[in-house]
This record gives sequence, structure tokens and C-alpha cells, in this order.
Amino acid sequence: MPFKGKLALVTGSGRGIGRAIALKLASQGADIIVNFFRHRETAEKTAKEIQAMGVKAQVIRANVGDPAKIDEMFNTIGNDWGYLDIFINNAASGVGRSAMDVDVKAWDWTMDINAKAALLCAQRAAKLMEGRGGKIVSISSLGSSFVLPTYAIVGISKAALEAITRYLAIELAPKNICVNAVAASAVETEALKFYIKEGLVKDTRQVTPAGRMVIPEDVAKVVAFLCSEEAFMIRGQTIIVDGGTSIAPFIPAGKEESQ
Amino acid sequence: MTVEEQIRDIVANIVHVDKAIITRDSTFKDIKADSLDIVQSLVAVEDAFDIEIPDEEAQNFQNFGDFVDYVESHAAEKEKA
Repeated sequence: MPFKGKLALVTGSGRGIGRAIALKLASQGADIIVNFFRHRETAEKTAKEIQAMGVKAQVIRANVGDPAKIDEMFNTIGNDWGYLDIFINNAASGVGRSAMDVDVKAWDWTMDINAKAALLCAQRAAKLMEGRGGKIVSISSLGSSFVLPTYAIVGISKAALEAITRYLAIELAPKNICVNAVAASAVETEALKFYIKEGLVKDTRQVTPAGRMVIPEDVAKVVAFLCSEEAFMIRGQTIIVDGGTSIAPFIPAGKEESQ
Repeated sequence: MTVEEQIRDIVANIVHVDKAIITRDSTFKDIKADSLDIVQSLVAVEDAFDIEIPDEEAQNFQNFGDFVDYVESHAAEKEKA
């Protein structure tokens, strides 16, 4: 139980990747703060599953796109716990637009939740990690470095997130806080259904060399590794979890290369 | 200001339309609100009335009137609590 006695905050952990991460860390002994914003029922359900594993879970609602709500959330954690060991910056949102169609409203909404929140939350998290060390892992996506259809503002926000990861990794190293990110390709979640409905994601089994789609648990396992002491010397990195998709754009998956 | 008037103001401000065009029968589509406008309207109304509007409930709103009715009943419940 590498995380026994540790407290982890996972933003957006009612569903999808966040939920998988919360459950994974809990299965390895961590107490979990389940943060959500739009879906209380799933957050409460996740918390119950976590408690059934014999660790503590606290549900906190907060719109991380609002700095005042971030403050409230961390004030609550400070009052109720007084410390933090792991911060997983997973909550994200976005608007499907091409770069030429991104307006100020879409920019502000997406950047506030995906990038600004990451920095503001990390600043508060680091204070709660004072004297204890800690781990910060952000969830990014391939869209930060590659161009995906109508993903412009989300991709841009994820690129900012990865830069935030690098800067924090160095600035927080003296405090024994390890900061990294995990970037996945399309992950089979509820949120993905929107992209599939809009025709933006094909059946990725056809393009994934590893032969199946990335699922939330794949991301959760890598996040748990990055939070472990085994990953102590990995700093400021964005680990890609995509079954090989991004490095083999010219090889159709499922077909053997003729020699 | 009534609850309906408050919500109308909030939505008009977010969607950038004249509040006069928002009637109880109006849908978000009628007032040309996109998905971001809808989420931001829900969030702003939640903040204004200190209530939660789960997405599952919001999906059932057929029109502005349904939205107002939901907020009125849940804000009232909160008063009682």
C-alpha cells in the first residue's frame, strides 16, 4: 500500500479518467478528495466505492474555472485535513472549435479550467505539501502537440498545462514535490461520446498499434506510478499513453509491414 | 426582481441577446445559444441562487419556463432547509 496514510485530491474525479485515478490511488491506500462540478451523483458514487476499500473519501464541489471556488476548496481541505500529499489536476472542459473560430468566451472558459486552474490549484496544493513533499500530476492530451480536428483551444490549453508542469517541476523540486503530466490519446470515457457523436473520433482500434483503445485505467496506472517513489527522478515530463498511435502515423494498425 | 427576471437577465447577458426575446416558451436554440452559452448560463444561475443543477436535470428542460420552474422549486427548498 504505497499511499497508505496519504491524502490525494483528484479534480473531476466523479467520472472518466479522474474516477479511475481516484479508485487506483485509493486501492493503494490513499484517502481521496473527490472533486466534481456538474455531476454530484457520480461523485458520491465514486466516494462510496473508495470508502468500501477501507480508506476515507470526501466529496467537494468546486468549479476550478473560478479562482474563488478554488480558494474555497483548498480552504476546506486546509481546515478539514491540514495537509495534502498528492494533487491530480484532471478536471478539464472545452469547446469544439477550429482555431479560426475560437472567440474570447471559448478561450477564457477553456483556459480558465484547463490551464489557469492547474497553476492556481498547484500553488495552493504546494502550500499544503509544505514539509511533507508531494506529487502533482496533470492530465494532458496528444492535442497539446498534435493537431486534432476542432480541438484547437483545448490543445492550446493542454500545451500551456504541459509548460506549467515543467516550470512547477523545477520550482517545487527543492520542496521534494515531483511534478509531471500524462498525455493520452482518445480515451474511452463518457466525455469521448461527445467527440464520437460529432464524428471527430473514428474507431481508434483501427489506428492504435497496441490493438485497442486507451481506457481510463491505463492512464490511472501511469499516474499511480508517477505518484510512487519509483518515479522520484522523473520531473517535468509528459508521459504519453497512446498505444503507439502518435509515433506511427504512416503504418495502418493491424496490418503487418511487408518485408 | 422575480426569480424569472433574474434568470432572464443572467441568460441575456451571457448569450448577448435582448432579454425581451426570452419568453417562457423560448428554447436555447431559439435565442441562438451555443453549448458554451448553455453551460455558462447554468453555472451563473447556480451561483446566483446557490443551488445545483445537474446536467441530467438540465437536459430535460424543454424551454426557458422549465428552467425557471426548476430554479424556483429548488431555491424554495433551500429556503426551507
